[in-house]
Amino acid sequence: MKVKEIVVISGKGGTGKTTFTASLAPFLKDVVIADCDVDAPDLHILLNPRIEEESIFSGSAKARIDEDLCTRCNLCAEHCRFGAIDKTPRINPMKCEGCGVCEYICPADAITLKDVTTGKVYKGITEYGPMVHARLVPGEETSGKLVSRVRNEAKKRAESEEKPYVLIDGSPGIGCNVISSITGASTVVIVTEPTLSGLHDLKRVLEVAARFSGKAYVVINKYDLSREMSEKIEIEAEKSGAPVLMKLPFDKKIVQAVTGKKIPSLAEEELFLSAGWKNLLKTLTAE
Amino acid sequence: MKITILSGKGGTGKTTVSNNLAVLVKESFLIDCDVEEPNSHIFMAPEITEEEEIRTGYPVVDEDKCIHCRKCADFCHYNAIIAGAAATMPLKDLCHDCGGCQLVCPAGAISYEKKGIGTIFSGTSRFGSRFLYGQLYTGELSGVKIINRLNEKMSHSDLVLVDSPPGTSCSTVAALEGSDYAVIVTEPTPFGVSDMKMVVEMLKEMNIPFSVVVNKAGLGDNEVYEYCSEENLTITGEIPFERIVAEAYASGKLAVEISEEHKSLYRNLWLNIQKEAERSHES
Ligand code: SF4
Ligand code: SF4
Repeated sequence: MKVKEIVVISGKGGTGKTTFTASLAPFLKDVVIADCDVDAPDLHILLNPRIEEESIFSGSAKARIDEDLCTRCNLCAEHCRFGAIDKTPRINPMKCEGCGVCEYICPADAITLKDVTTGKVYKGITEYGPMVHARLVPGEETSGKLVSRVRNEAKKRAESEEKPYVLIDGSPGIGCNVISSITGASTVVIVTEPTLSGLHDLKRVLEVAARFSGKAYVVINKYDLSREMSEKIEIEAEKSGAPVLMKLPFDKKIVQAVTGKKIPSLAEEELFLSAGWKNLLKTLTAE
Repeated sequence: MKITILSGKGGTGKTTVSNNLAVLVKESFLIDCDVEEPNSHIFMAPEITEEEEIRTGYPVVDEDKCIHCRKCADFCHYNAIIAGAAATMPLKDLCHDCGGCQLVCPAGAISYEKKGIGTIFSGTSRFGSRFLYGQLYTGELSGVKIINRLNEKMSHSDLVLVDSPPGTSCSTVAALEGSDYAVIVTEPTPFGVSDMKMVVEMLKEMNIPFSVVVNKAGLGDNEVYEYCSEENLTITGEIPFERIVAEAYASGKLAVEISEEHKSLYRNLWLNIQKEAERSHES
Protein backbone atom coordinates (compact mmCIF):
# COMPACT_ATOMS: atom_id res chain seq x y z
CA MET A 1 0.00 0.00 0.00
CA LYS A 2 1.23 3.45 -0.85
CA VAL A 3 1.28 5.95 1.96
CA LYS A 4 -0.10 9.36 1.08
CA GLU A 5 1.73 12.24 2.71
CA ILE A 6 -0.30 15.38 3.31
CA VAL A 7 1.94 18.26 4.35
CA VAL A 8 0.59 21.52 5.74
CA ILE A 9 2.84 24.53 5.26
CA SER A 10 2.61 28.31 5.30
CA GLY A 11 4.81 31.10 4.09
CA LYS A 12 5.54 32.72 7.38
CA GLY A 13 4.54 31.39 10.74
CA GLY A 14 1.42 32.39 12.60
CA THR A 15 -1.04 31.88 9.77
CA GLY A 16 -2.77 29.01 11.56
CA LYS A 17 -0.80 26.14 10.08
CA THR A 18 -0.63 24.12 13.30
CA THR A 19 -4.24 24.83 14.21
CA PHE A 20 -5.27 23.60 10.79
CA THR A 21 -3.09 20.47 10.96
CA ALA A 22 -4.54 19.55 14.34
CA SER A 23 -8.01 20.10 12.90
CA LEU A 24 -7.35 17.60 10.12
CA ALA A 25 -6.01 14.84 12.38
CA PRO A 26 -9.34 13.49 13.73
CA PHE A 27 -10.85 13.48 10.25
CA LEU A 28 -8.22 11.37 8.51
CA LYS A 29 -8.98 7.85 9.56
CA ASP A 30 -5.89 5.74 10.15
CA VAL A 31 -3.27 8.39 10.15
CA VAL A 32 0.25 8.81 11.46
CA ILE A 33 0.97 12.38 12.50
CA ALA A 34 4.32 14.15 12.26
CA ASP A 35 5.35 17.57 13.47
CA CYS A 36 8.15 18.76 11.23
CA ASP A 37 8.17 22.28 12.63
CA VAL A 38 11.16 21.33 14.75
CA ASP A 39 12.03 24.94 15.60
CA ALA A 40 8.66 25.59 17.20
CA PRO A 41 6.87 22.27 17.68
CA ASP A 42 3.36 23.06 18.89
CA LEU A 43 1.16 20.34 17.45
CA HIS A 44 1.59 18.16 20.54
CA ILE A 45 -0.05 20.89 22.61
CA LEU A 46 -3.36 20.19 20.86
CA LEU A 47 -2.94 16.49 20.14
CA ASN A 48 -1.46 15.61 23.49
CA PRO A 49 0.47 12.42 22.68
CA ARG A 50 1.48 9.93 25.34
CA ILE A 51 5.24 9.66 24.77
CA GLU A 52 6.48 6.10 24.37
CA GLU A 53 10.01 6.67 23.25
CA GLU A 54 12.48 9.52 23.37
CA SER A 55 15.75 9.53 21.48
CA ILE A 56 18.67 11.84 20.98
CA PHE A 57 19.44 13.26 17.60
CA SER A 58 22.95 14.21 16.68
CA GLY A 59 22.90 16.11 13.43
CA SER A 60 26.28 17.73 13.54
CA ALA A 61 29.67 17.88 15.10
CA LYS A 62 31.57 20.75 16.64
CA ALA A 63 35.27 21.35 17.00
CA ARG A 64 37.01 21.30 20.36
CA ILE A 65 40.51 22.45 21.23
CA ASP A 66 42.69 20.57 23.67
CA GLU A 67 44.42 23.43 25.50
CA ASP A 68 47.34 21.23 26.54
CA LEU A 69 48.25 20.25 22.99
CA CYS A 70 47.62 23.64 21.39
CA THR A 71 50.78 25.56 20.45
CA ARG A 72 48.89 28.81 19.64
CA CYS A 73 49.99 28.76 16.02
CA ASN A 74 46.54 30.15 15.08
CA LEU A 75 46.38 28.25 11.81
CA CYS A 76 42.89 27.10 12.73
CA ALA A 77 41.62 30.64 13.20
CA GLU A 78 43.17 31.69 9.91
CA HIS A 79 41.46 28.90 8.00
CA CYS A 80 38.02 28.99 9.59
CA ARG A 81 35.65 30.61 7.12
CA PHE A 82 32.82 30.91 9.60
CA GLY A 83 34.56 33.23 12.03
CA ALA A 84 34.08 30.60 14.72
CA ILE A 85 37.64 30.66 16.09
CA ASP A 86 39.21 33.73 17.68
CA LYS A 87 42.88 34.49 18.23
CA THR A 88 43.00 32.87 21.72
CA PRO A 89 42.28 30.40 20.02
CA ARG A 90 38.83 29.62 21.28
CA ILE A 91 35.90 28.06 19.41
CA ASN A 92 32.48 29.64 19.44
CA PRO A 93 30.16 26.62 19.25
CA MET A 94 27.26 28.77 18.05
CA LYS A 95 29.22 29.63 14.91
CA CYS A 96 31.04 26.36 14.32
CA GLU A 97 29.56 24.45 11.38
CA GLY A 98 31.53 21.28 11.99
CA CYS A 99 33.29 21.38 8.64
CA GLY A 100 36.51 19.84 9.95
CA VAL A 101 38.96 22.28 8.36
CA CYS A 102 40.51 23.26 11.69
CA GLU A 103 40.92 19.64 12.72
CA TYR A 104 42.65 18.93 9.42
CA ILE A 105 44.93 21.94 9.47
CA CYS A 106 46.08 21.75 13.12
CA PRO A 107 49.72 20.59 13.17
CA ALA A 108 49.55 19.71 16.87
CA ASP A 109 46.48 17.47 16.63
CA ALA A 110 44.87 19.65 19.25
CA ILE A 111 41.47 19.84 17.56
CA THR A 112 38.87 17.11 17.26
CA LEU A 113 35.30 17.14 16.06
CA LYS A 114 32.78 15.83 18.56
CA ASP A 115 29.20 14.86 17.80
CA VAL A 116 26.74 17.07 19.59
CA THR A 117 23.12 16.61 20.50
CA THR A 118 21.19 18.88 18.18
CA GLY A 119 17.71 17.68 18.97
CA LYS A 120 15.40 15.13 20.48
CA VAL A 121 12.88 12.91 18.76
CA TYR A 122 9.68 11.80 20.49
CA LYS A 123 7.41 8.95 19.46
CA GLY A 124 4.00 8.70 20.99
CA ILE A 125 0.33 7.87 20.64
CA THR A 126 -2.51 10.36 20.33
CA GLU A 127 -6.22 9.72 20.34
CA TYR A 128 -6.14 9.85 16.53
CA GLY A 129 -3.05 7.85 15.76
CA PRO A 130 0.67 7.55 16.38
CA MET A 131 2.65 10.76 16.40
CA VAL A 132 6.31 11.68 15.91
CA HIS A 133 7.69 15.04 16.87
CA ALA A 134 11.03 16.56 17.67
CA ARG A 135 12.65 19.53 19.22
CA LEU A 136 15.77 21.28 18.04
CA VAL A 137 18.28 22.49 20.59
CA PRO A 138 18.18 26.30 20.36
CA GLY A 139 20.76 27.75 18.01
CA GLU A 140 21.34 24.54 16.11
CA GLU A 141 21.04 24.49 12.39
CA THR A 142 20.87 20.94 11.15
CA SER A 143 17.12 21.06 11.27
CA GLY A 144 16.81 19.88 7.68
CA LYS A 145 18.17 16.52 8.80
CA LEU A 146 15.98 16.44 11.87
CA VAL A 147 12.93 17.22 9.74
CA SER A 148 13.79 14.31 7.44
CA ARG A 149 14.26 12.04 10.42
CA VAL A 150 10.80 12.90 11.83
CA ARG A 151 9.19 12.47 8.45
CA ASN A 152 10.89 9.15 7.79
CA GLU A 153 9.99 7.77 11.22
CA ALA A 154 6.35 8.67 10.62
CA LYS A 155 6.39 7.13 7.15
CA LYS A 156 7.98 3.92 8.41
CA ARG A 157 5.35 3.67 11.08
CA ALA A 158 2.55 4.20 8.56
CA GLU A 159 3.99 1.52 6.32
CA SER A 160 4.44 -1.04 9.04
CA GLU A 161 0.97 -0.45 10.46
CA GLU A 162 -0.58 -0.16 7.01
CA LYS A 163 -1.98 3.28 7.55
CA PRO A 164 -2.85 5.15 4.37
CA TYR A 165 -2.01 8.68 5.54
CA VAL A 166 0.84 10.60 7.07
CA LEU A 167 -0.24 14.06 8.15
CA ILE A 168 2.64 16.49 8.51
CA ASP A 169 2.81 19.88 10.16
CA GLY A 170 5.52 21.30 7.93
CA SER A 171 8.15 23.91 8.66
CA PRO A 172 7.42 27.55 8.03
CA GLY A 173 9.48 29.59 5.60
CA ILE A 174 11.03 28.61 2.30
CA GLY A 175 14.47 27.43 3.42
CA CYS A 176 16.02 24.02 3.83
CA ASN A 177 13.53 22.88 6.46
CA VAL A 178 10.47 23.39 4.39
CA ILE A 179 12.14 21.72 1.44
CA SER A 180 12.95 18.73 3.67
CA SER A 181 9.36 18.58 4.84
CA ILE A 182 7.71 18.65 1.41
CA THR A 183 10.12 17.01 -1.05
CA GLY A 184 8.31 14.15 -2.74
CA ALA A 185 5.07 14.57 -0.76
CA SER A 186 1.95 13.94 -2.79
CA THR A 187 -0.20 16.69 -1.33
CA VAL A 188 0.70 20.08 0.08
CA VAL A 189 -1.77 22.39 1.77
CA ILE A 190 -0.66 26.00 2.09
CA VAL A 191 -2.35 27.91 4.89
CA THR A 192 -2.25 31.63 4.27
CA GLU A 193 -3.88 34.81 5.52
CA PRO A 194 -5.26 37.76 3.59
CA THR A 195 -2.53 40.29 4.28
CA LEU A 196 -0.01 41.92 2.00
CA SER A 197 2.70 39.87 3.61
CA GLY A 198 0.57 36.73 3.31
CA LEU A 199 0.22 37.31 -0.42
CA HIS A 200 3.89 38.10 -0.75
CA ASP A 201 4.92 34.90 1.04
CA LEU A 202 2.36 32.79 -0.80
CA LYS A 203 3.99 33.46 -4.14
CA ARG A 204 7.31 32.19 -2.86
CA VAL A 205 5.79 29.16 -1.16
CA LEU A 206 3.85 28.21 -4.28
CA GLU A 207 7.12 28.29 -6.19
CA VAL A 208 8.81 26.00 -3.68
CA ALA A 209 5.83 23.62 -3.62
CA ALA A 210 5.72 23.43 -7.40
CA ARG A 211 9.40 22.61 -7.52
CA PHE A 212 9.60 19.98 -4.82
CA SER A 213 6.25 18.25 -4.38
CA GLY A 214 3.00 17.06 -5.91
CA LYS A 215 -0.39 18.76 -5.88
CA ALA A 216 -0.75 21.99 -3.91
CA TYR A 217 -3.90 23.49 -2.38
CA VAL A 218 -4.55 26.72 -0.52
CA VAL A 219 -6.55 27.47 2.62
CA ILE A 220 -7.22 31.11 3.45
CA ASN A 221 -7.45 31.66 7.18
CA LYS A 222 -9.15 34.76 8.64
CA TYR A 223 -10.25 35.60 5.08
CA ASP A 224 -12.71 38.27 6.22
CA LEU A 225 -9.98 40.47 7.71
CA SER A 226 -9.48 41.69 4.17
CA ARG A 227 -11.82 40.44 1.49
CA GLU A 228 -9.90 42.42 -1.08
CA MET A 229 -6.63 40.72 -0.19
CA SER A 230 -8.44 37.39 -0.05
CA GLU A 231 -9.52 37.83 -3.62
CA LYS A 232 -5.99 38.64 -4.69
CA ILE A 233 -4.79 35.47 -3.00
CA GLU A 234 -7.45 33.44 -4.79
CA ILE A 235 -6.33 34.84 -8.12
CA GLU A 236 -2.69 34.14 -7.35
CA ALA A 237 -3.47 30.58 -6.24
CA GLU A 238 -5.62 29.94 -9.29
CA LYS A 239 -2.83 31.17 -11.53
CA SER A 240 -0.42 28.65 -10.04
CA GLY A 241 -2.89 25.80 -10.36
CA ALA A 242 -3.37 25.51 -6.59
CA PRO A 243 -7.11 25.68 -5.86
CA VAL A 244 -8.41 27.43 -2.75
CA LEU A 245 -10.22 24.70 -0.84
CA MET A 246 -11.47 26.60 2.16
CA LYS A 247 -11.90 30.11 3.49
CA LEU A 248 -12.12 30.28 7.25
CA PRO A 249 -13.38 33.51 8.81
CA PHE A 250 -11.65 35.22 11.70
CA ASP A 251 -13.44 34.12 14.85
CA LYS A 252 -12.34 34.49 18.44
CA LYS A 253 -13.85 31.09 19.14
CA ILE A 254 -11.03 29.44 17.24
CA VAL A 255 -8.43 31.21 19.36
CA GLN A 256 -10.40 30.26 22.45
CA ALA A 257 -10.48 26.62 21.39
CA VAL A 258 -6.71 26.64 20.93
CA THR A 259 -6.19 28.41 24.24
CA GLY A 260 -8.30 25.71 25.88
CA LYS A 261 -6.09 23.14 24.12
CA LYS A 262 -9.04 21.87 22.11
CA ILE A 263 -9.02 20.93 18.45
CA PRO A 264 -10.89 23.73 16.62
CA SER A 265 -12.53 21.52 13.98
CA LEU A 266 -14.12 19.48 16.76
CA ALA A 267 -14.87 22.31 19.17
CA GLU A 268 -16.26 24.60 16.46
CA GLU A 269 -17.44 22.10 13.88
CA GLU A 270 -20.24 24.36 12.56
CA LEU A 271 -17.77 27.05 11.68
CA PHE A 272 -15.61 24.61 9.77
CA LEU A 273 -18.56 23.04 7.97
CA SER A 274 -19.79 26.39 6.72
CA ALA A 275 -16.29 27.22 5.45
CA GLY A 276 -16.03 24.25 3.11
CA TRP A 277 -14.61 21.59 5.43
CA LYS A 278 -16.41 18.62 3.79
CA ASN A 279 -15.22 19.55 0.34
CA LEU A 280 -11.68 20.00 1.59
CA LEU A 281 -11.64 16.59 3.25
CA LYS A 282 -13.02 14.98 0.12
CA THR A 283 -10.38 16.58 -2.08
CA LEU A 284 -7.49 15.74 0.22
CA THR A 285 -8.47 12.11 0.59
CA ALA A 286 -9.33 11.49 -3.07
CA GLU A 287 -6.97 9.06 -4.78
CA MET B 1 22.97 50.33 20.47
CA LYS B 2 21.56 47.32 18.70
CA ILE B 3 18.14 46.07 19.79
CA THR B 4 16.91 42.86 18.24
CA ILE B 5 13.23 42.03 18.11
CA LEU B 6 12.53 38.33 17.95
CA SER B 7 9.88 35.73 18.60
CA GLY B 8 9.50 32.01 19.16
CA LYS B 9 7.63 31.51 15.94
CA GLY B 10 6.45 33.62 13.07
CA GLY B 11 3.26 35.62 13.16
CA THR B 12 3.44 36.81 16.75
CA GLY B 13 4.03 40.41 15.73
CA LYS B 14 7.79 40.83 15.46
CA THR B 15 7.45 42.90 12.33
CA THR B 16 4.57 44.89 13.82
CA VAL B 17 6.59 45.86 16.88
CA SER B 18 9.86 46.60 15.12
CA ASN B 19 8.24 48.62 12.34
CA ASN B 20 6.00 50.71 14.56
CA LEU B 21 8.97 51.51 16.77
CA ALA B 22 11.14 52.34 13.78
CA VAL B 23 8.59 54.89 12.60
CA LEU B 24 8.35 56.53 16.01
CA VAL B 25 12.01 56.55 16.92
CA LYS B 26 13.20 58.96 14.29
CA GLU B 27 16.94 58.38 14.55
CA SER B 28 16.65 54.60 14.33
CA PHE B 29 17.86 52.40 11.53
CA LEU B 30 15.63 49.40 10.79
CA ILE B 31 17.16 46.18 9.49
CA ASP B 32 15.04 43.25 8.40
CA CYS B 33 17.14 40.13 8.98
CA ASP B 34 14.29 37.72 8.34
CA VAL B 35 15.82 36.98 4.96
CA GLU B 36 13.67 33.94 4.23
CA GLU B 37 10.44 35.89 4.57
CA PRO B 38 11.26 39.57 4.76
CA ASN B 39 8.06 41.52 5.37
CA SER B 40 9.16 44.88 6.75
CA HIS B 41 9.60 46.36 3.30
CA ILE B 42 5.89 45.90 2.72
CA PHE B 43 5.19 48.44 5.47
CA MET B 44 8.28 50.59 5.01
CA ALA B 45 7.81 50.74 1.21
CA PRO B 46 11.39 51.95 0.85
CA GLU B 47 12.92 53.72 -2.05
CA ILE B 48 15.85 51.43 -2.80
CA THR B 49 19.05 53.22 -3.61
CA GLU B 50 21.49 50.34 -3.46
CA GLU B 51 21.43 46.62 -4.12
CA GLU B 52 24.14 44.16 -3.32
CA GLU B 53 24.15 40.53 -4.31
CA ILE B 54 25.53 38.19 -1.66
CA ARG B 55 27.52 35.32 -3.02
CA THR B 56 28.93 32.10 -1.80
CA GLY B 57 31.67 29.91 -3.20
CA TYR B 58 31.41 26.33 -4.37
CA PRO B 59 34.09 24.00 -5.71
CA VAL B 60 34.71 23.10 -9.31
CA VAL B 61 36.97 20.22 -10.22
CA ASP B 62 39.46 20.37 -13.08
CA GLU B 63 39.03 16.90 -14.53
CA ASP B 64 42.39 17.10 -16.30
CA LYS B 65 44.20 17.46 -13.01
CA CYS B 66 42.01 15.21 -10.84
CA ILE B 67 43.66 11.88 -10.00
CA HIS B 68 40.41 10.44 -8.57
CA CYS B 69 41.81 9.85 -5.15
CA ARG B 70 38.44 10.78 -3.57
CA LYS B 71 40.10 12.65 -0.73
CA CYS B 72 37.79 15.63 -1.26
CA ALA B 73 34.63 13.56 -0.98
CA ASP B 74 35.94 11.75 2.09
CA PHE B 75 36.70 15.05 3.72
CA CYS B 76 33.46 16.91 3.03
CA HIS B 77 31.27 16.78 6.13
CA TYR B 78 28.18 17.77 4.20
CA ASN B 79 28.40 15.11 1.47
CA ALA B 80 28.67 17.89 -1.06
CA ILE B 81 31.06 16.00 -3.35
CA ILE B 82 30.43 12.73 -5.11
CA ALA B 83 33.64 11.05 -6.23
CA GLY B 84 33.52 8.07 -8.54
CA ALA B 85 36.28 6.16 -10.24
CA ALA B 86 36.12 8.38 -13.30
CA ALA B 87 34.47 11.62 -12.27
CA THR B 88 34.35 13.95 -9.29
CA MET B 89 31.18 15.95 -8.93
CA PRO B 90 30.57 18.73 -6.41
CA LEU B 91 26.93 19.42 -5.47
CA LYS B 92 26.90 23.15 -5.09
CA ASP B 93 23.60 23.35 -3.21
CA LEU B 94 24.97 21.32 -0.31
CA CYS B 95 28.34 23.06 -0.08
CA HIS B 96 28.97 25.29 2.96
CA ASP B 97 31.99 26.91 1.32
CA CYS B 98 34.37 25.76 4.06
CA GLY B 99 37.41 25.49 1.81
CA GLY B 100 38.27 21.99 3.02
CA CYS B 101 38.19 20.09 -0.25
CA GLN B 102 40.68 22.45 -1.86
CA LEU B 103 42.91 22.09 1.16
CA VAL B 104 43.01 18.30 1.02
CA CYS B 105 43.23 17.84 -2.74
CA PRO B 106 46.77 16.57 -3.50
CA ALA B 107 46.42 17.35 -7.20
CA GLY B 108 45.42 21.00 -6.97
CA ALA B 109 42.34 20.15 -8.98
CA ILE B 110 39.85 22.21 -7.02
CA SER B 111 39.09 25.89 -7.41
CA TYR B 112 36.05 27.91 -6.39
CA GLU B 113 33.41 29.72 -8.29
CA LYS B 114 30.80 32.10 -6.92
CA LYS B 115 27.05 32.03 -7.08
CA GLY B 116 24.48 34.43 -5.71
CA ILE B 117 22.33 33.32 -2.78
CA GLY B 118 20.39 36.51 -2.17
CA THR B 119 20.30 40.27 -2.26
CA ILE B 120 20.58 43.10 0.23
CA PHE B 121 18.49 46.20 -0.47
CA SER B 122 19.25 49.55 1.16
CA GLY B 123 17.21 52.65 1.02
CA THR B 124 14.93 55.11 2.71
CA SER B 125 11.52 54.13 4.02
CA ARG B 126 8.36 56.03 3.19
CA PHE B 127 8.74 57.57 6.65
CA GLY B 128 12.13 58.96 5.75
CA SER B 129 14.19 56.64 7.93
CA ARG B 130 17.07 54.42 6.94
CA PHE B 131 16.08 50.87 6.11
CA LEU B 132 17.91 47.74 5.02
CA TYR B 133 16.69 44.27 4.23
CA GLY B 134 17.95 41.03 2.80
CA GLN B 135 16.22 38.44 0.71
CA LEU B 136 17.35 34.85 0.25
CA TYR B 137 16.79 33.33 -3.19
CA THR B 138 14.18 30.57 -3.34
CA GLY B 139 15.70 27.14 -2.85
CA GLU B 140 18.84 28.36 -1.08
CA LEU B 141 19.67 26.60 2.16
CA SER B 142 20.86 29.25 4.53
CA GLY B 143 20.66 32.99 4.88
CA VAL B 144 23.42 33.25 7.46
CA LYS B 145 25.88 34.82 5.00
CA ILE B 146 23.35 37.50 4.11
CA ILE B 147 22.62 38.20 7.76
CA ASN B 148 26.33 38.46 8.54
CA ARG B 149 26.70 41.02 5.79
CA LEU B 150 23.68 42.95 7.09
CA ASN B 151 25.41 42.97 10.48
CA GLU B 152 28.54 44.42 8.93
CA LYS B 153 26.58 47.15 7.20
CA MET B 154 24.85 48.23 10.40
CA SER B 155 27.88 48.19 12.63
CA HIS B 156 28.51 51.96 12.40
CA SER B 157 25.03 53.07 13.37
CA ASP B 158 23.99 54.46 16.72
CA LEU B 159 20.56 52.95 17.11
CA VAL B 160 19.68 49.85 15.19
CA LEU B 161 16.41 47.97 15.40
CA VAL B 162 16.57 44.47 14.00
CA ASP B 163 13.59 42.46 12.83
CA SER B 164 15.05 38.98 13.43
CA PRO B 165 14.12 35.66 11.83
CA PRO B 166 11.67 33.78 14.06
CA GLY B 167 12.61 30.73 16.11
CA THR B 168 15.99 29.72 17.41
CA SER B 169 17.81 28.56 14.30
CA CYS B 170 21.27 29.53 13.13
CA SER B 171 19.80 32.52 11.29
CA THR B 172 18.38 33.90 14.53
CA VAL B 173 21.72 33.43 16.25
CA ALA B 174 23.39 35.29 13.38
CA ALA B 175 20.89 38.15 13.64
CA LEU B 176 21.50 38.40 17.40
CA GLU B 177 25.26 38.69 16.99
CA GLY B 178 26.42 41.88 18.69
CA SER B 179 22.99 42.78 20.11
CA ASP B 180 22.96 44.88 23.27
CA TYR B 181 19.38 44.04 24.06
CA ALA B 182 16.56 41.86 22.82
CA VAL B 183 12.78 42.05 22.88
CA ILE B 184 10.74 38.86 22.64
CA VAL B 185 7.35 39.35 21.08
CA THR B 186 4.90 36.69 22.15
CA GLU B 187 1.18 36.07 22.26
CA PRO B 188 -0.95 34.85 25.16
CA THR B 189 -1.65 31.36 23.87
CA PRO B 190 -0.21 27.95 24.76
CA PHE B 191 1.68 28.05 21.46
CA GLY B 192 3.12 31.44 22.27
CA VAL B 193 4.43 30.31 25.64
CA SER B 194 5.88 27.07 24.36
CA ASP B 195 7.78 28.79 21.54
CA MET B 196 8.96 31.61 23.72
CA LYS B 197 10.61 29.24 26.20
CA MET B 198 13.14 28.19 23.61
CA VAL B 199 14.00 31.79 22.80
CA VAL B 200 14.49 32.55 26.48
CA GLU B 201 16.87 29.60 26.73
CA MET B 202 18.85 30.83 23.74
CA LEU B 203 19.12 34.44 24.95
CA LYS B 204 20.30 33.28 28.37
CA GLU B 205 22.93 31.13 26.75
CA MET B 206 24.08 34.04 24.60
CA ASN B 207 24.05 36.37 27.59
CA ILE B 208 21.85 39.00 25.98
CA PRO B 209 19.51 40.90 28.32
CA PHE B 210 15.90 40.99 27.21
CA SER B 211 12.31 41.76 28.04
CA VAL B 212 8.96 40.58 26.76
CA VAL B 213 6.16 42.23 24.80
CA VAL B 214 2.78 40.52 24.84
CA ASN B 215 1.02 41.09 21.53
CA LYS B 216 -2.63 40.30 20.84
CA ALA B 217 -3.29 40.77 24.55
CA GLY B 218 -6.83 39.84 25.46
CA LEU B 219 -7.12 37.08 22.87
CA GLY B 220 -5.85 34.15 24.88
CA ASP B 221 -5.27 33.19 28.49
CA ASN B 222 -2.92 33.95 31.37
CA GLU B 223 -0.27 31.31 30.82
CA VAL B 224 2.26 33.77 29.41
CA TYR B 225 1.91 36.10 32.41
CA GLU B 226 2.30 33.22 34.83
CA TYR B 227 5.39 32.01 33.01
CA CYS B 228 6.96 35.50 33.03
CA SER B 229 6.37 35.99 36.71
CA GLU B 230 7.71 32.52 37.58
CA GLU B 231 10.84 33.18 35.57
CA ASN B 232 11.15 36.78 36.69
CA LEU B 233 10.96 38.15 33.17
CA THR B 234 10.10 41.80 32.64
CA ILE B 235 7.11 42.60 30.48
CA THR B 236 7.83 45.95 28.82
CA GLY B 237 4.50 46.24 27.10
CA GLU B 238 1.20 44.80 26.05
CA ILE B 239 -0.42 45.40 22.70
CA PRO B 240 -4.12 44.64 22.74
CA PHE B 241 -5.67 42.67 19.91
CA GLU B 242 -7.78 45.04 17.84
CA ARG B 243 -9.56 44.22 14.66
CA ILE B 244 -8.86 47.63 13.12
CA VAL B 245 -5.13 47.11 13.59
CA ALA B 246 -5.32 43.66 12.01
CA GLU B 247 -7.25 45.09 9.09
CA ALA B 248 -4.81 47.95 8.64
CA TYR B 249 -1.92 45.50 8.79
CA ALA B 250 -3.59 43.44 6.06
CA SER B 251 -3.33 46.39 3.70
CA GLY B 252 0.21 47.37 4.61
CA LYS B 253 -0.52 50.06 7.20
CA LEU B 254 1.01 50.35 10.65
CA ALA B 255 -0.76 50.95 13.96
CA VAL B 256 1.04 54.27 14.51
CA GLU B 257 -0.61 55.53 11.36
CA ILE B 258 -4.10 54.87 12.63
CA SER B 259 -4.45 57.14 15.63
CA GLU B 260 -2.79 59.13 18.40
CA GLU B 261 -3.71 56.42 20.90
CA HIS B 262 -1.76 53.86 18.97
CA LYS B 263 1.14 56.25 18.70
CA SER B 264 1.25 56.77 22.42
CA LEU B 265 1.02 53.05 23.05
CA TYR B 266 4.19 52.50 21.05
CA ARG B 267 5.82 55.60 22.53
CA ASN B 268 5.32 54.13 26.00
CA LEU B 269 6.58 50.78 24.85
CA TRP B 270 9.72 52.44 23.54
CA LEU B 271 10.30 54.32 26.80
CA ASN B 272 9.99 51.08 28.75
CA ILE B 273 12.34 49.22 26.44
CA GLN B 274 14.90 52.01 26.60
CA LYS B 275 14.72 52.13 30.37
CA GLU B 276 15.09 48.38 30.69
CA ALA B 277 17.93 48.26 28.19
CA GLU B 278 19.84 50.93 30.12
CA ARG B 279 19.11 49.31 33.44
CA SER B 280 20.38 45.94 32.24
CA HIS B 281 23.64 47.50 31.11
CA GLU B 282 24.25 49.27 34.37
CA SER B 283 23.81 46.16 36.46
S1 SF4 C 1 34.12 23.64 0.35
FE1 SF4 C 1 33.74 22.38 2.17
S2 SF4 C 1 31.55 22.07 2.13
FE2 SF4 C 1 32.10 22.77 0.09
S3 SF4 C 1 32.41 20.87 -1.05
FE3 SF4 C 1 34.42 21.50 -0.26
S4 SF4 C 1 34.62 20.37 1.67
FE4 SF4 C 1 32.45 20.30 1.11
S1 SF4 D 1 40.93 15.32 -3.87
FE1 SF4 D 1 41.48 16.29 -5.82
S2 SF4 D 1 42.42 14.66 -6.98
FE2 SF4 D 1 41.38 13.65 -5.29
S3 SF4 D 1 39.35 13.15 -6.17
FE3 SF4 D 1 39.14 15.15 -5.20
S4 SF4 D 1 39.51 16.60 -6.87
FE4 SF4 D 1 40.29 14.64 -7.56
